[in-house]
Amino acid sequence: MDYSRPELADLLAAEYVTGTLRGAARRRFEALSPAHPSLRNAMREWQDRLMPLTLSIAPQAPSANVWKRIQTQMGGAVKPAVAVVAPHASRWGGLAFWRGLSGFATAAALGLLVLVNTPGPALAPVVVVLSSTAVSADGSALPASFVASISGDGRAVVTKPLLNVSLQTDRALELWAVPSAGAPKSLGLISANGASVVQKNKVPPGTAALAVSLEPPGGSPTSTPSGPVLFVGKLSS
Amino acid sequence: MTTTTSPLEWTDRSRELSELLARAGLGDRAAFATLYNKTSSHLFAVVLRINRDRGQAEDVLQEIYVNVWRSASSFDAAQSQPLTWLTRVARNRAIDSLRRTQTQPQFENRFSGEEEDNDVYDDKADDAPGPLDLLSQASDARALTDCMQDLSAPQRQSVAMAFYDGLSHAEVAEKMGQPLGTVKSWVRRALTSLKGCLESAAQVDVSAARVRNSKDC
Repeated sequence: MDYSRPELADLLAAEYVTGTLRGAARRRFEALSPAHPSLRNAMREWQDRLMPLTLSIAPQAPSANVWKRIQTQMGGAVKPAVAVVAPHASRWGGLAFWRGLSGFATAAALGLLVLVNTPGPALAPVVVVLSSTAVSADGSALPASFVASISGDGRAVVTKPLLNVSLQTDRALELWAVPSAGAPKSLGLISANGASVVQKNKVPPGTAALAVSLEPPGGSPTSTPSGPVLFVGKLSS
Repeated sequence: MTTTTSPLEWTDRSRELSELLARAGLGDRAAFATLYNKTSSHLFAVVLRINRDRGQAEDVLQEIYVNVWRSASSFDAAQSQPLTWLTRVARNRAIDSLRRTQTQPQFENRFSGEEEDNDVYDDKADDAPGPLDLLSQASDARALTDCMQDLSAPQRQSVAMAFYDGLSHAEVAEKMGQPLGTVKSWVRRALTSLKGCLESAAQVDVSAARVRNSKDC
């Protein structure tokens, strides 16, 4: 079958999303759609059309056992996240060079919401929420912009934008590990649009915060951020 | 019953789930727990309509969330809304679970027995609303109501049974006492009509505004 034919792709996707495509045909559709943009797009459109119809079904609470069983399969119990809100601008130890950067003090003043998973014996990853250093029109805190996850051994950082970050084509975003004293260390470039895995440099022990700066393509020409710091998120100790 | 499906409500609920899902994708367990608290009763209701055995539905729900936990990092907020994504995962798992239970007696009971006494257009085995009730509640948005009126009653009924209750063409045909080919074309026409209607709804709004503007001139 020629799945690039739009009418056929649309028909198959409609029956798939409605649920009437069954058995071997259903499994074939699932196997083929990742490689066929026409199937995938048609499926996405039908999902957007039909899934909201489920909102008219009255919610039903599952028994508490279900969550317990899910946790068992996730491995270990959920540890509550620690939320730390910095109430006012605190000077970041010996980070003299940060102070000159515009927006830094403001960012700290906004209060950085930092959520950290308590590291367990298995070296759980540390999750950091990075907020914009910009100020909104009414002075309120802007929504979180990036989440970053540092692997338990510090060898890899995964970053993901939470909002659309628009970036000029001749600019790049660079991720920095900021110690409580001393110079920041570049961890590498990250994407403004999708998830990035950074494993060029290890996150040094004693890192107090992660920061993202705006840089020329290829990153900062020096060993420190050369452009403005756009996002920061503090690690809780 | 006045439950409505507002696309706005869907979008609003999705927005707050985006961050939770992104954090869960990075291994944040507390965010995942919150995501479960906010979404599990909706997904469970969706699953329970398709697989009415409560124990099996809970097994399916467990599979769904373990799967979401493991694949949360593959969720792309730019491509789809979280609630759409989660509901899709839930529906697919629920439909797959029917294949496994097809030989079991509770499935038989749904389609055999006292069917003669039931009006297939308003079949309620329990207090739960029938698929057609759900469809009409979901179509309160004006555009969708207009679109539904373009469909014949059997078209509406067949697509509602298939979508809400996860019935195959053959099962819908059996329930409605109609030939398979007839039911297939009802479902197909209903979907085609729905698509055309929803797509033109936005354009109608735009051109209505244009008409008003030109009259003002």
